[in-house]
Amino acid sequence: MRNTYLWFLQLVTGVLIAVLLGIHMVIMHLDAILGFFGVDVAEVTSWESMVGRAIQGVWAGLYMALLAVVLYHALKGLRGIILESTPSATTERVVTWVIIAFGIVAFIGGTYVPLRLLAG
Amino acid sequence: MTEDSTKRITFKVQRYDPEQDSAPHFQEFTVPASRGTTVLEGLIYIKENLDSSLAFRTSCRMGICGSCGMLINNYPHLACHTQIEEFHSDTLTVKSLPNLPIIKDLVPELNPLFENHKSVKPYILRYDEEEMKEPTAEFAQTPQELRSFLQFTYCVKCGICVAACPTAASDKLFLGPQALAQCYRYCADNRDEGEQERFPVADTDHGIWHCHLAGACSEACPKGLDPALAIQLLKRRLVSQAFGLRKKQQPAPLVSPPTETKPKVPFPEFTVKQS
Repeated sequence: MRNTYLWFLQLVTGVLIAVLLGIHMVIMHLDAILGFFGVDVAEVTSWESMVGRAIQGVWAGLYMALLAVVLYHALKGLRGIILESTPSATTERVVTWVIIAFGIVAFIGGTYVPLRLLAG
Repeated sequence: MTEDSTKRITFKVQRYDPEQDSAPHFQEFTVPASRGTTVLEGLIYIKENLDSSLAFRTSCRMGICGSCGMLINNYPHLACHTQIEEFHSDTLTVKSLPNLPIIKDLVPELNPLFENHKSVKPYILRYDEEEMKEPTAEFAQTPQELRSFLQFTYCVKCGICVAACPTAASDKLFLGPQALAQCYRYCADNRDEGEQERFPVADTDHGIWHCHLAGACSEACPKGLDPALAIQLLKRRLVSQAFGLRKKQQPAPLVSPPTETKPKVPFPEFTVKQS
């Protein structure tokens, strides 16, 4: 049932992307609407504001979670497309390990700065 | 075919002999067609009157055997089930079913389809081996239980769903809508206990999770089946099985043969007096 679990996880990550990316989009682009509700996110795209969020555990966790779910969702889809166009047992193994390695490297690269900032 | 009230239809037929040709090519034939003439009748006319070397499969001529699946005007049809006048055109293009290798002319190699079909074990599997070897009675099944999978029993294995499937076009190892629908048909049968043997076949990289849900199989099926629905229902069974959401159902019990039977309806009397 391995493929069933992997497929279900892709569904779950799809929903999580909608939620986490939704939060990101609202914070970044809907400042006028947030201001209407009394939330002040002035200069949200400035370096100071970004670093200020990154040193807060909640924001750092949210962005690292977003990176993780996006990587899983996108790379699982990419693997499916590659395997569909080049179906063979050898390709399958090579593609799977290359994709896993790329995902791990991308996650480490993406979380390095927030973790350093969190660590102070 | 009478010559009056007939139209002359040009059949552009794909010809391919792997022993002589490097690639398929087209040959044109002019065929007389009247109201009700099927594409298969047109092909038979060509074979009987114009070119006896044309190869195509046919058997029942009434949409039951599934032999004459072919690509007619770029859409897969059963040739016996398709009338020429449906296309409102004086030209018909007839090709072998795509997504399957060509043996000759309009004859596709159906072995890949049958191998996939065989791989999902399309028969009743039960653990009471003695009863399976030497049946003593029938397994109980209500009309409601039968209706839950009945439409999928009408599959004639013509290969049209596979020919229409965009996933089968790009992934040569894809199990295909026919095999997946039959996998569901037997898993949904209350007399069956073979889910655990079929799920590993469907749950692969080229199995059920590779279906794009284009629905082309259901649209093309000449028997009106909905393989896309079967695939979705099979996905639900797999997910509920994986997460333990489904109650373990006991397979259908044996029912004793009826002790009383209705008398047979008598034959009607002969309307013509026999001397």
